[in-house]
Amino acid sequence: MDRDVLRRLEKLNQLSLTEEQKDDFLAFFAKQEQEIDKLYTKDTEQVERMVHVMPIMTVVREDIEKKLFERDDLQKGAPETTDGYWQVPRTVD
Amino acid sequence: MKKYETVIGLEVHIELATESKIFCSCSAKFGGEQNDHVCPACCGMPGMLPIVNKHVVDLGMTAGLMLNCDINRVTTFDKKSYYYPDLPCSYQTTQWFSPVAINGTVPIETSKGKKNIRIKQIHMEEDAGKLVHDDWTDTTLVDFNRTSVPLCEIVSQPDLSSAEEVVAYLEQLRSRLRFAKVSGCRMEQGSMRCDVNLSVREEGSDKLGVRTEMKNMNSISAITRAIEYETARHIDALENGTEELVQETRRWDDIKGKSYAMRNKETAGDYRYFPDPNIMPIVIDDEWFDRIKASLPELPEVKKARYISELGLTEYDAEQLTQSRAFCDCFEAACDECGQPKEVANWLISDCSNILNKRQMIADDLTIDGKALGKLIKLVLDGKVQRGNAKKILNTMFDEEIADIEQYAKDNNFIVSNDTGAIEAVIKAVVAEDTRSVNDYKSGKEKALMALFGKCMKQLKGNCSPDMLRELLIKAINEA
Repeated sequence: MDRDVLRRLEKLNQLSLTEEQKDDFLAFFAKQEQEIDKLYTKDTEQVERMVHVMPIMTVVREDIEKKLFERDDLQKGAPETTDGYWQVPRTVD
Repeated sequence: MKKYETVIGLEVHIELATESKIFCSCSAKFGGEQNDHVCPACCGMPGMLPIVNKHVVDLGMTAGLMLNCDINRVTTFDKKSYYYPDLPCSYQTTQWFSPVAINGTVPIETSKGKKNIRIKQIHMEEDAGKLVHDDWTDTTLVDFNRTSVPLCEIVSQPDLSSAEEVVAYLEQLRSRLRFAKVSGCRMEQGSMRCDVNLSVREEGSDKLGVRTEMKNMNSISAITRAIEYETARHIDALENGTEELVQETRRWDDIKGKSYAMRNKETAGDYRYFPDPNIMPIVIDDEWFDRIKASLPELPEVKKARYISELGLTEYDAEQLTQSRAFCDCFEAACDECGQPKEVANWLISDCSNILNKRQMIADDLTIDGKALGKLIKLVLDGKVQRGNAKKILNTMFDEEIADIEQYAKDNNFIVSNDTGAIEAVIKAVVAEDTRSVNDYKSGKEKALMALFGKCMKQLKGNCSPDMLRELLIKAINEA
Protein backbone atom coordinates (compact mmCIF):
# COMPACT_ATOMS: atom_id res chain seq x y z
CA MET A 1 0.00 0.00 0.00
CA ASP A 2 1.43 3.33 -1.01
CA ARG A 3 0.10 6.86 -1.32
CA ASP A 4 -1.04 6.32 -4.96
CA VAL A 5 -3.05 3.21 -4.13
CA LEU A 6 -4.59 4.97 -1.16
CA ARG A 7 -5.56 7.90 -3.39
CA ARG A 8 -7.22 5.46 -5.81
CA LEU A 9 -9.15 3.80 -3.00
CA GLU A 10 -10.16 7.19 -1.63
CA LYS A 11 -11.61 8.10 -5.00
CA LEU A 12 -13.39 4.75 -5.49
CA ASN A 13 -14.95 4.94 -2.04
CA GLN A 14 -15.89 8.58 -2.50
CA LEU A 15 -13.93 9.58 0.60
CA SER A 16 -11.97 12.73 1.37
CA LEU A 17 -9.16 11.99 3.81
CA THR A 18 -6.94 14.52 5.56
CA GLU A 19 -3.16 14.13 5.26
CA GLU A 20 -3.09 12.99 8.88
CA GLN A 21 -5.71 10.30 8.22
CA LYS A 22 -3.76 9.17 5.18
CA ASP A 23 -0.59 8.80 7.29
CA ASP A 24 -2.56 6.79 9.86
CA PHE A 25 -3.99 4.50 7.17
CA LEU A 26 -0.62 3.92 5.57
CA ALA A 27 0.91 3.02 8.93
CA PHE A 28 -2.03 0.70 9.66
CA PHE A 29 -1.77 -1.08 6.30
CA ALA A 30 2.02 -1.40 6.61
CA LYS A 31 1.52 -3.27 9.88
CA GLN A 32 -1.19 -5.50 8.37
CA GLU A 33 1.04 -6.34 5.44
CA GLN A 34 3.76 -7.46 7.84
CA GLU A 35 1.25 -9.81 9.49
CA ILE A 36 0.12 -11.17 6.12
CA ASP A 37 3.75 -11.70 5.09
CA LYS A 38 4.17 -13.93 8.15
CA LEU A 39 1.34 -16.14 6.84
CA TYR A 40 3.15 -16.61 3.54
CA THR A 41 6.08 -18.17 5.39
CA LYS A 42 3.86 -21.10 6.52
CA ASP A 43 3.42 -24.26 4.48
CA THR A 44 -0.34 -24.51 3.71
CA GLU A 45 -0.06 -27.28 1.11
CA GLN A 46 -2.04 -29.75 3.23
CA VAL A 47 -4.50 -27.21 4.68
CA GLU A 48 -8.03 -27.43 3.36
CA ARG A 49 -9.31 -24.20 1.82
CA MET A 50 -11.51 -22.21 4.18
CA VAL A 51 -14.53 -20.74 2.47
CA HIS A 52 -15.99 -18.98 5.48
CA VAL A 53 -14.83 -18.06 8.97
CA MET A 54 -17.81 -19.91 10.48
CA PRO A 55 -18.29 -23.65 9.93
CA ILE A 56 -21.87 -23.19 8.74
CA MET A 57 -23.52 -23.46 5.35
CA THR A 58 -26.28 -21.38 3.85
CA VAL A 59 -29.99 -22.15 3.97
CA VAL A 60 -31.74 -22.00 0.60
CA ARG A 61 -35.43 -21.43 -0.07
CA GLU A 62 -37.85 -22.86 -2.64
CA ASP A 63 -38.67 -20.79 -5.73
CA ILE A 64 -42.11 -19.61 -4.63
CA GLU A 65 -43.29 -16.10 -5.42
CA LYS A 66 -44.92 -14.21 -2.55
CA LYS A 67 -46.01 -10.60 -2.35
CA LEU A 68 -45.35 -9.58 1.21
CA PHE A 69 -45.21 -5.78 1.02
CA GLU A 70 -47.13 -2.97 -0.64
CA ARG A 71 -45.26 -0.28 -2.50
CA ASP A 72 -46.87 2.57 -0.56
CA ASP A 73 -45.74 1.09 2.76
CA LEU A 74 -42.18 0.71 1.48
CA GLN A 75 -42.08 4.28 0.22
CA LYS A 76 -43.40 5.86 3.43
CA GLY A 77 -39.91 6.79 4.60
CA ALA A 78 -38.66 7.95 1.20
CA PRO A 79 -37.62 11.61 0.95
CA GLU A 80 -39.10 11.91 -2.57
CA THR A 81 -41.36 9.71 -4.70
CA THR A 82 -43.37 10.31 -7.85
CA ASP A 83 -45.84 8.02 -9.68
CA GLY A 84 -44.62 5.05 -7.66
CA TYR A 85 -40.94 5.71 -8.40
CA TRP A 86 -38.29 6.60 -5.88
CA GLN A 87 -36.98 10.00 -6.95
CA VAL A 88 -33.26 10.65 -6.52
CA PRO A 89 -30.78 13.34 -7.62
CA ARG A 90 -30.01 13.01 -11.32
CA THR A 91 -27.34 10.44 -12.08
CA VAL A 92 -25.33 10.56 -15.26
CA ASP A 93 -23.30 7.61 -16.47
CA MET B 1 -0.55 -3.34 -44.84
CA LYS B 2 0.23 -5.79 -42.04
CA LYS B 3 -2.13 -8.65 -41.41
CA TYR B 4 -4.24 -8.36 -38.26
CA GLU B 5 -6.45 -10.72 -36.30
CA THR B 6 -9.35 -9.87 -34.02
CA VAL B 7 -9.50 -11.34 -30.52
CA ILE B 8 -12.95 -11.39 -28.93
CA GLY B 9 -14.20 -12.55 -25.55
CA LEU B 10 -17.86 -12.38 -24.57
CA GLU B 11 -19.66 -11.83 -21.30
CA VAL B 12 -23.22 -13.03 -21.81
CA HIS B 13 -25.91 -12.27 -19.24
CA ILE B 14 -28.98 -14.48 -19.24
CA GLU B 15 -32.06 -13.96 -17.10
CA LEU B 16 -32.89 -17.20 -15.32
CA ALA B 17 -36.36 -18.73 -15.66
CA THR B 18 -37.54 -18.49 -12.05
CA GLU B 19 -40.77 -17.40 -10.42
CA SER B 20 -39.12 -15.35 -7.69
CA LYS B 21 -36.00 -13.19 -7.31
CA ILE B 22 -32.59 -14.50 -6.33
CA PHE B 23 -32.53 -13.33 -2.67
CA CYS B 24 -36.20 -12.64 -1.81
CA SER B 25 -39.67 -13.96 -2.70
CA CYS B 26 -40.72 -11.02 -4.90
CA SER B 27 -41.93 -11.80 -8.41
CA ALA B 28 -39.18 -12.09 -11.04
CA LYS B 29 -41.67 -11.42 -13.87
CA PHE B 30 -40.75 -8.93 -16.57
CA GLY B 31 -42.60 -5.59 -16.41
CA GLY B 32 -45.43 -4.76 -14.01
CA GLU B 33 -46.34 -1.45 -12.36
CA GLN B 34 -43.22 0.36 -11.20
CA ASN B 35 -41.98 -0.87 -7.83
CA ASP B 36 -44.76 -3.43 -7.55
CA HIS B 37 -42.37 -6.41 -7.28
CA VAL B 38 -40.37 -5.13 -4.33
CA CYS B 39 -39.74 -5.76 -0.64
CA PRO B 40 -37.32 -4.43 1.98
CA ALA B 41 -34.66 -6.96 0.88
CA CYS B 42 -34.52 -5.99 -2.81
CA CYS B 43 -34.93 -2.30 -1.88
CA GLY B 44 -31.74 -2.56 0.18
CA MET B 45 -33.34 -1.50 3.44
CA PRO B 46 -31.04 -1.74 6.47
CA GLY B 47 -30.99 -5.03 8.33
CA MET B 48 -32.58 -7.13 5.59
CA LEU B 49 -30.80 -10.39 4.85
CA PRO B 50 -30.71 -12.30 1.55
CA ILE B 51 -31.98 -15.90 1.36
CA VAL B 52 -30.79 -17.74 -1.74
CA ASN B 53 -33.39 -19.16 -4.15
CA LYS B 54 -32.53 -22.85 -4.58
CA HIS B 55 -33.82 -22.95 -8.14
CA VAL B 56 -31.29 -20.28 -9.13
CA VAL B 57 -28.51 -22.64 -8.04
CA ASP B 58 -30.26 -25.49 -9.93
CA LEU B 59 -30.27 -23.40 -13.09
CA GLY B 60 -26.69 -22.19 -12.56
CA MET B 61 -25.55 -25.81 -12.33
CA THR B 62 -27.70 -26.80 -15.32
CA ALA B 63 -26.16 -24.01 -17.41
CA GLY B 64 -22.71 -25.17 -16.34
CA LEU B 65 -23.33 -28.79 -17.25
CA MET B 66 -24.96 -27.87 -20.59
CA LEU B 67 -21.75 -25.95 -21.43
CA ASN B 68 -19.43 -28.77 -20.33
CA CYS B 69 -18.21 -26.96 -17.21
CA ASP B 70 -16.90 -28.28 -13.91
CA ILE B 71 -19.27 -27.48 -11.04
CA ASN B 72 -17.79 -25.93 -7.91
CA ARG B 73 -19.27 -28.09 -5.15
CA VAL B 74 -18.77 -25.24 -2.69
CA THR B 75 -19.92 -22.01 -4.27
CA THR B 76 -19.98 -18.59 -2.61
CA PHE B 77 -21.41 -15.12 -3.13
CA ASP B 78 -19.38 -11.92 -3.01
CA LYS B 79 -20.06 -8.21 -2.95
CA LYS B 80 -18.98 -6.03 -5.87
CA SER B 81 -18.81 -2.30 -5.15
CA TYR B 82 -21.24 -0.38 -7.33
CA TYR B 83 -22.40 3.17 -6.59
CA TYR B 84 -25.45 3.67 -8.70
CA PRO B 85 -29.07 4.00 -7.58
CA ASP B 86 -30.41 1.04 -9.59
CA LEU B 87 -28.81 -1.22 -6.95
CA PRO B 88 -29.80 0.26 -3.61
CA CYS B 89 -27.20 -1.55 -1.47
CA SER B 90 -24.31 0.22 -3.27
CA TYR B 91 -22.98 -3.19 -4.15
CA GLN B 92 -24.04 -6.03 -6.42
CA THR B 93 -24.22 -9.49 -4.94
CA THR B 94 -22.40 -11.70 -7.43
CA GLN B 95 -19.82 -14.50 -7.48
CA TRP B 96 -16.12 -13.85 -7.83
CA PHE B 97 -14.04 -16.17 -5.66
CA SER B 98 -15.93 -19.43 -6.20
CA PRO B 99 -18.44 -19.20 -9.08
CA VAL B 100 -20.92 -22.01 -9.62
CA ALA B 101 -19.25 -23.34 -12.82
CA ILE B 102 -15.80 -23.07 -14.39
CA ASN B 103 -13.71 -24.37 -17.32
CA GLY B 104 -16.32 -25.28 -19.94
CA THR B 105 -16.34 -25.58 -23.72
CA VAL B 106 -18.89 -24.80 -26.39
CA PRO B 107 -18.42 -26.33 -29.85
CA ILE B 108 -19.21 -24.06 -32.79
CA GLU B 109 -19.22 -24.53 -36.54
CA THR B 110 -18.68 -21.75 -39.09
CA SER B 111 -17.68 -21.52 -42.75
CA LYS B 112 -14.08 -21.97 -41.53
CA GLY B 113 -14.87 -25.26 -39.81
CA LYS B 114 -15.32 -26.53 -36.26
CA LYS B 115 -13.85 -24.93 -33.15
CA ASN B 116 -14.24 -25.15 -29.37
CA ILE B 117 -14.78 -21.94 -27.43
CA ARG B 118 -13.59 -22.17 -23.83
CA ILE B 119 -15.80 -20.93 -21.02
CA LYS B 120 -13.86 -19.33 -18.17
CA GLN B 121 -16.70 -19.30 -15.67
CA ILE B 122 -20.44 -18.99 -15.09
CA HIS B 123 -21.51 -16.98 -12.09
CA MET B 124 -24.89 -16.25 -10.55
CA GLU B 125 -25.76 -12.68 -9.67
CA GLU B 126 -28.56 -10.18 -9.25
CA ASP B 127 -29.77 -7.82 -11.98
CA ALA B 128 -29.95 -4.06 -11.43
CA GLY B 129 -33.16 -2.00 -11.42
CA LYS B 130 -34.33 0.46 -14.04
CA LEU B 131 -33.58 4.18 -14.05
CA VAL B 132 -35.64 6.78 -15.85
CA HIS B 133 -33.99 10.17 -16.25
CA ASP B 134 -36.63 12.88 -15.89
CA ASP B 135 -35.53 15.98 -17.80
CA TRP B 136 -38.48 18.02 -16.53
CA THR B 137 -37.50 17.79 -12.85
CA ASP B 138 -33.81 17.04 -13.56
CA THR B 139 -34.03 14.00 -11.31
CA THR B 140 -33.74 10.25 -11.75
CA LEU B 141 -36.71 7.96 -11.14
CA VAL B 142 -35.93 4.50 -9.78
CA ASP B 143 -37.88 1.29 -10.39
CA PHE B 144 -36.60 -1.70 -8.37
CA ASN B 145 -38.83 -4.35 -10.06
CA ARG B 146 -35.82 -5.80 -11.92
CA THR B 147 -33.45 -5.42 -8.98
CA SER B 148 -32.38 -8.86 -7.76
CA VAL B 149 -33.93 -10.72 -10.69
CA PRO B 150 -31.56 -13.70 -11.07
CA LEU B 151 -28.94 -13.74 -13.81
CA CYS B 152 -26.13 -15.99 -14.89
CA GLU B 153 -23.12 -14.38 -16.50
CA ILE B 154 -21.26 -16.66 -18.89
CA VAL B 155 -17.68 -15.49 -19.41
CA SER B 156 -15.81 -16.90 -22.39
CA GLN B 157 -12.07 -16.98 -22.91
CA PRO B 158 -10.89 -14.69 -25.75
CA ASP B 159 -11.16 -17.53 -28.27
CA LEU B 160 -13.45 -15.86 -30.82
CA SER B 161 -12.01 -14.14 -33.85
CA SER B 162 -14.87 -12.91 -36.05
CA ALA B 163 -18.49 -11.79 -36.02
CA GLU B 164 -19.43 -15.10 -37.67
CA GLU B 165 -17.89 -17.06 -34.79
CA VAL B 166 -19.58 -14.82 -32.23
CA VAL B 167 -22.97 -15.42 -33.85
CA ALA B 168 -22.37 -19.19 -33.96
CA TYR B 169 -21.32 -19.14 -30.29
CA LEU B 170 -24.37 -17.12 -29.20
CA GLU B 171 -26.68 -19.42 -31.15
CA GLN B 172 -25.14 -22.47 -29.47
CA LEU B 173 -25.54 -20.88 -26.03
CA ARG B 174 -29.12 -19.91 -26.77
CA SER B 175 -30.04 -23.32 -28.13
CA ARG B 176 -28.49 -25.26 -25.21
CA LEU B 177 -29.86 -23.01 -22.50
CA ARG B 178 -33.35 -22.86 -23.98
CA PHE B 179 -33.36 -26.64 -24.31
CA ALA B 180 -32.48 -27.01 -20.65
CA LYS B 181 -35.14 -24.38 -19.74
CA VAL B 182 -32.49 -22.29 -18.01
CA SER B 183 -33.61 -19.09 -19.73
CA GLY B 184 -35.81 -17.90 -22.57
CA CYS B 185 -32.65 -16.19 -23.95
CA ARG B 186 -34.79 -13.61 -25.78
CA MET B 187 -32.49 -10.79 -26.78
CA GLU B 188 -35.39 -8.56 -27.85
CA GLN B 189 -36.82 -8.76 -24.31
CA GLY B 190 -33.44 -8.29 -22.63
CA SER B 191 -33.30 -11.80 -21.17
CA MET B 192 -30.01 -12.34 -23.06
CA ARG B 193 -27.51 -9.46 -23.21
CA CYS B 194 -23.96 -9.46 -24.36
CA ASP B 195 -20.80 -7.47 -23.57
CA VAL B 196 -18.21 -7.73 -26.34
CA ASN B 197 -14.52 -7.41 -25.38
CA LEU B 198 -12.44 -6.88 -28.49
CA SER B 199 -8.82 -6.23 -29.35
CA VAL B 200 -6.74 -6.50 -32.50
CA ARG B 201 -3.18 -7.76 -32.88
CA GLU B 202 -0.76 -8.61 -35.65
CA GLU B 203 -1.40 -12.08 -37.02
CA GLY B 204 0.78 -14.64 -35.26
CA SER B 205 1.56 -12.38 -32.28
CA ASP B 206 0.92 -13.85 -28.83
CA LYS B 207 0.56 -10.43 -27.21
CA LEU B 208 -2.99 -9.10 -26.87
CA GLY B 209 -3.77 -5.59 -28.11
CA VAL B 210 -5.61 -2.81 -26.26
CA ARG B 211 -9.06 -4.10 -25.31
CA THR B 212 -12.32 -2.19 -25.55
CA GLU B 213 -15.67 -3.36 -24.24
CA MET B 214 -19.09 -2.71 -25.74
CA LYS B 215 -21.81 -3.30 -23.18
CA ASN B 216 -25.41 -4.50 -23.26
CA MET B 217 -25.64 -5.50 -26.91
CA ASN B 218 -29.06 -7.02 -27.45
CA SER B 219 -29.38 -8.12 -31.05
CA ILE B 220 -27.34 -10.43 -33.23
CA SER B 221 -27.32 -7.93 -36.10
CA ALA B 222 -26.11 -5.09 -33.83
CA ILE B 223 -23.36 -7.33 -32.43
CA THR B 224 -22.22 -8.24 -35.95
CA ARG B 225 -22.09 -4.61 -37.09
CA ALA B 226 -20.41 -3.46 -33.87
CA ILE B 227 -17.65 -6.08 -34.18
CA GLU B 228 -17.00 -5.16 -37.80
CA TYR B 229 -16.90 -1.42 -36.98
CA GLU B 230 -14.70 -1.82 -33.91
CA THR B 231 -12.25 -4.13 -35.71
CA ALA B 232 -11.87 -1.58 -38.51
CA ARG B 233 -11.40 1.25 -35.97
CA HIS B 234 -8.66 -0.66 -34.14
CA ILE B 235 -6.83 -1.56 -37.37
CA ASP B 236 -7.08 2.02 -38.59
CA ALA B 237 -5.61 3.27 -35.30
CA LEU B 238 -2.76 0.75 -35.43
CA GLU B 239 -2.02 1.17 -39.12
CA ASN B 240 -2.54 4.91 -39.61
CA GLY B 241 -2.29 6.29 -36.08
CA THR B 242 -5.70 7.94 -36.43
CA GLU B 243 -6.26 7.78 -32.68
CA GLU B 244 -4.70 6.36 -29.53
CA LEU B 245 -6.41 3.15 -28.44
CA VAL B 246 -7.21 3.08 -24.73
CA GLN B 247 -8.79 0.43 -22.55
CA GLU B 248 -12.34 1.69 -22.13
CA THR B 249 -16.02 0.87 -22.16
CA ARG B 250 -17.83 1.99 -25.31
CA ARG B 251 -21.46 2.40 -26.30
CA TRP B 252 -22.69 1.10 -29.66
CA ASP B 253 -25.13 3.36 -31.56
CA ASP B 254 -26.83 0.97 -33.97
CA ILE B 255 -28.62 3.73 -35.88
CA LYS B 256 -25.45 5.70 -36.60
CA GLY B 257 -23.38 2.52 -36.91
CA LYS B 258 -20.65 3.90 -34.62
CA SER B 259 -19.24 3.22 -31.16
CA TYR B 260 -18.58 5.99 -28.64
CA ALA B 261 -16.35 6.11 -25.56
CA MET B 262 -18.38 5.92 -22.33
CA ARG B 263 -15.82 5.61 -19.55
CA ASN B 264 -12.44 4.13 -18.74
CA LYS B 265 -12.75 0.42 -18.25
CA GLU B 266 -12.70 -0.63 -14.62
CA THR B 267 -10.33 -3.39 -13.58
CA ALA B 268 -11.30 -6.17 -11.19
CA GLY B 269 -9.45 -4.38 -8.38
CA ASP B 270 -11.67 -1.32 -8.77
CA TYR B 271 -14.72 -3.38 -7.86
CA ARG B 272 -13.18 -4.35 -4.48
CA TYR B 273 -14.84 -7.76 -4.39
CA PHE B 274 -15.16 -9.27 -0.94
CA PRO B 275 -16.98 -12.35 0.38
CA ASP B 276 -20.59 -11.59 1.30
CA PRO B 277 -20.76 -12.22 5.06
CA ASN B 278 -24.58 -12.48 4.88
CA ILE B 279 -24.60 -15.54 2.64
CA MET B 280 -22.88 -18.65 3.89
CA PRO B 281 -21.21 -20.97 1.38
CA ILE B 282 -23.55 -23.17 -0.64
CA VAL B 283 -22.52 -26.81 -0.55
CA ILE B 284 -23.71 -28.88 -3.50
CA ASP B 285 -23.81 -32.44 -2.21
CA ASP B 286 -23.85 -35.58 -4.39
CA GLU B 287 -27.62 -35.97 -4.21
CA TRP B 288 -28.19 -32.40 -5.43
CA PHE B 289 -25.55 -32.68 -8.15
CA ASP B 290 -26.85 -36.06 -9.38
CA ARG B 291 -30.45 -34.78 -9.49
CA ILE B 292 -29.45 -31.88 -11.75
CA LYS B 293 -27.26 -34.09 -13.92
CA ALA B 294 -30.13 -36.57 -14.39
CA SER B 295 -32.48 -33.76 -15.40
CA LEU B 296 -30.36 -32.58 -18.33
CA PRO B 297 -32.09 -32.87 -21.71
CA GLU B 298 -30.68 -34.55 -24.77
CA LEU B 299 -28.55 -31.96 -26.60
CA PRO B 300 -30.17 -30.45 -29.71
CA GLU B 301 -27.50 -31.80 -32.06
CA VAL B 302 -27.85 -35.32 -30.60
CA LYS B 303 -31.62 -35.12 -30.98
CA LYS B 304 -31.26 -33.94 -34.58
CA ALA B 305 -29.04 -36.88 -35.48
CA ARG B 306 -31.51 -39.30 -33.84
CA TYR B 307 -34.49 -37.80 -35.70
CA ILE B 308 -32.67 -38.40 -38.99
CA SER B 309 -31.29 -41.85 -38.27
CA GLU B 310 -34.12 -43.39 -36.23
CA LEU B 311 -37.22 -41.55 -37.39
CA GLY B 312 -36.27 -41.00 -41.03
CA LEU B 313 -36.69 -37.22 -41.07
CA THR B 314 -34.85 -35.11 -43.60
CA GLU B 315 -31.91 -32.95 -42.48
CA TYR B 316 -34.09 -29.86 -43.03
CA ASP B 317 -37.03 -31.13 -40.95
CA ALA B 318 -34.77 -32.31 -38.12
CA GLU B 319 -32.95 -28.95 -38.10
CA GLN B 320 -36.23 -27.02 -37.99
CA LEU B 321 -37.66 -29.09 -35.14
CA THR B 322 -34.52 -28.99 -32.98
CA GLN B 323 -34.44 -25.20 -32.98
CA SER B 324 -36.88 -25.36 -30.08
CA ARG B 325 -37.38 -27.59 -27.05
CA ALA B 326 -41.14 -26.94 -27.19
CA PHE B 327 -41.28 -28.23 -30.78
CA CYS B 328 -39.23 -31.32 -29.87
CA ASP B 329 -41.40 -32.13 -26.83
CA CYS B 330 -44.57 -31.71 -28.87
CA PHE B 331 -43.12 -33.70 -31.79
CA GLU B 332 -42.12 -36.65 -29.62
CA ALA B 333 -45.46 -36.78 -27.78
CA ALA B 334 -47.40 -36.58 -31.07
CA CYS B 335 -45.26 -39.33 -32.64
CA ASP B 336 -45.93 -41.58 -29.64
CA GLU B 337 -49.63 -41.09 -30.27
CA CYS B 338 -49.87 -41.47 -34.06
CA GLY B 339 -46.58 -43.13 -35.05
CA GLN B 340 -46.12 -40.90 -38.13
CA PRO B 341 -42.94 -38.77 -37.62
CA LYS B 342 -42.89 -37.25 -41.11
CA GLU B 343 -46.55 -36.26 -40.90
CA VAL B 344 -46.09 -34.74 -37.41
CA ALA B 345 -43.00 -32.83 -38.58
CA ASN B 346 -45.02 -31.35 -41.46
CA TRP B 347 -47.82 -30.22 -39.17
CA LEU B 348 -45.38 -28.59 -36.77
CA ILE B 349 -43.04 -26.97 -39.29
CA SER B 350 -45.80 -25.79 -41.59
CA ASP B 351 -49.17 -25.39 -39.83
CA CYS B 352 -48.07 -24.71 -36.25
CA SER B 353 -45.32 -22.32 -37.39
CA ASN B 354 -47.87 -20.39 -39.50
CA ILE B 355 -50.18 -20.01 -36.53
CA LEU B 356 -47.29 -18.91 -34.29
CA ASN B 357 -46.16 -16.36 -36.90
CA LYS B 358 -49.65 -14.93 -37.22
CA ARG B 359 -49.77 -14.51 -33.46
CA GLN B 360 -46.25 -12.98 -33.38
CA MET B 361 -45.01 -15.83 -31.21
CA ILE B 362 -41.82 -17.88 -31.42
CA ALA B 363 -41.39 -21.67 -31.49
CA ASP B 364 -40.68 -21.80 -27.76
CA ASP B 365 -44.11 -20.26 -27.11
CA LEU B 366 -45.78 -23.43 -28.44
CA THR B 367 -47.93 -24.86 -25.65
CA ILE B 368 -50.33 -27.20 -27.47
CA ASP B 369 -50.52 -30.74 -26.14
CA GLY B 370 -48.39 -33.08 -28.26
CA LYS B 371 -50.65 -36.06 -27.56
CA ALA B 372 -53.69 -34.09 -28.74
CA LEU B 373 -51.83 -33.12 -31.92
CA GLY B 374 -51.00 -36.79 -32.49
CA LYS B 375 -54.68 -37.73 -32.10
CA LEU B 376 -55.73 -35.00 -34.52
CA ILE B 377 -53.22 -36.20 -37.13
CA LYS B 378 -54.48 -39.76 -36.65
CA LEU B 379 -58.06 -38.62 -37.32
CA VAL B 380 -56.88 -37.02 -40.58
CA LEU B 381 -54.88 -40.07 -41.66
CA ASP B 382 -57.83 -42.36 -40.88
CA GLY B 383 -60.04 -40.19 -43.08
CA LYS B 384 -62.28 -39.21 -40.18
CA VAL B 385 -61.56 -35.45 -40.34
CA GLN B 386 -60.74 -33.44 -43.45
CA ARG B 387 -57.37 -31.64 -43.41
CA GLY B 388 -59.04 -28.22 -43.70
CA ASN B 389 -61.23 -28.90 -40.69
CA ALA B 390 -58.26 -30.33 -38.78
CA LYS B 391 -56.48 -26.99 -39.29
CA LYS B 392 -59.47 -25.22 -37.74
CA ILE B 393 -59.26 -27.56 -34.73
CA LEU B 394 -55.49 -26.94 -34.51
CA ASN B 395 -56.08 -23.20 -34.42
CA THR B 396 -58.50 -23.68 -31.52
CA MET B 397 -55.90 -25.79 -29.70
CA PHE B 398 -53.71 -22.68 -29.46
CA ASP B 399 -56.46 -20.91 -27.50
CA GLU B 400 -57.90 -23.66 -25.37
CA GLU B 401 -57.04 -27.12 -24.13
CA ILE B 402 -59.14 -29.78 -25.85
CA ALA B 403 -59.34 -32.82 -23.61
CA ASP B 404 -60.82 -35.21 -26.19
CA ILE B 405 -60.04 -34.32 -29.80
CA GLU B 406 -62.42 -36.86 -31.39
CA GLN B 407 -65.32 -35.79 -29.17
CA TYR B 408 -64.57 -32.14 -29.98
CA ALA B 409 -64.61 -32.98 -33.71
CA LYS B 410 -67.97 -34.76 -33.28
CA ASP B 411 -69.48 -31.95 -31.20
CA ASN B 412 -68.49 -29.39 -33.81
CA ASN B 413 -69.57 -31.44 -36.87
CA PHE B 414 -66.02 -31.96 -38.13
CA ILE B 415 -66.31 -35.74 -38.49
CA VAL B 416 -66.50 -36.91 -42.11
CA SER B 417 -69.99 -38.13 -42.87
CA ASN B 418 -70.57 -41.62 -44.25
CA ASP B 419 -74.23 -40.85 -44.79
CA THR B 420 -74.42 -41.37 -48.57
CA GLY B 421 -78.08 -40.35 -48.56
CA ALA B 422 -77.24 -36.88 -47.22
CA ILE B 423 -74.32 -36.53 -49.65
CA GLU B 424 -76.45 -37.59 -52.62
CA ALA B 425 -79.11 -35.07 -51.66
CA VAL B 426 -76.56 -32.25 -51.73
CA ILE B 427 -75.16 -33.49 -55.07
CA LYS B 428 -78.63 -33.70 -56.57
CA ALA B 429 -79.39 -30.09 -55.63
CA VAL B 430 -76.04 -28.79 -56.97
CA VAL B 431 -76.33 -30.70 -60.24
CA ALA B 432 -79.88 -29.46 -60.76
CA GLU B 433 -78.84 -25.84 -60.10
CA ASP B 434 -75.58 -25.65 -62.11
CA THR B 435 -76.61 -27.22 -65.40
CA ARG B 436 -73.97 -25.24 -67.29
CA SER B 437 -71.10 -26.93 -65.40
CA VAL B 438 -72.79 -30.29 -65.83
CA ASN B 439 -73.00 -29.79 -69.62
CA ASP B 440 -69.42 -28.48 -69.76
CA TYR B 441 -68.16 -31.61 -67.98
CA LYS B 442 -70.17 -33.83 -70.29
CA SER B 443 -68.60 -32.08 -73.27
CA GLY B 444 -65.11 -32.90 -71.97
CA LYS B 445 -64.18 -29.92 -69.75
CA GLU B 446 -62.59 -31.62 -66.70
CA LYS B 447 -62.36 -28.32 -64.81
CA ALA B 448 -66.14 -28.10 -64.63
CA LEU B 449 -66.13 -31.16 -62.36
CA MET B 450 -63.97 -29.31 -59.86
CA ALA B 451 -66.42 -26.41 -59.76
CA LEU B 452 -69.27 -28.79 -58.94
CA PHE B 453 -67.08 -30.69 -56.47
CA GLY B 454 -66.22 -27.44 -54.67
CA LYS B 455 -69.86 -26.40 -54.37
CA CYS B 456 -70.82 -29.78 -52.92
CA MET B 457 -67.92 -29.81 -50.47
CA LYS B 458 -68.79 -26.30 -49.33
CA GLN B 459 -72.38 -27.30 -48.60
CA LEU B 460 -71.14 -30.41 -46.78
CA LYS B 461 -68.77 -28.17 -44.74
CA GLY B 462 -65.87 -30.38 -45.70
CA ASN B 463 -67.21 -33.35 -43.79
CA CYS B 464 -67.07 -35.84 -46.61
CA SER B 465 -64.48 -38.16 -48.05
CA PRO B 466 -63.20 -36.51 -51.28
CA ASP B 467 -63.02 -39.89 -53.04
CA MET B 468 -66.58 -40.76 -52.12
CA LEU B 469 -67.86 -37.35 -53.16
CA ARG B 470 -66.07 -37.50 -56.50
CA GLU B 471 -67.43 -40.95 -57.25
CA LEU B 472 -71.03 -40.05 -56.32
CA LEU B 473 -70.83 -36.74 -58.22
CA ILE B 474 -69.67 -38.33 -61.48
CA LYS B 475 -72.40 -40.92 -61.16
CA ALA B 476 -75.05 -38.20 -60.62
CA ILE B 477 -73.79 -36.15 -63.63
CA ASN B 478 -73.88 -39.17 -65.89
CA GLU B 479 -77.42 -39.91 -64.80
CA ALA B 480 -78.53 -36.29 -65.17
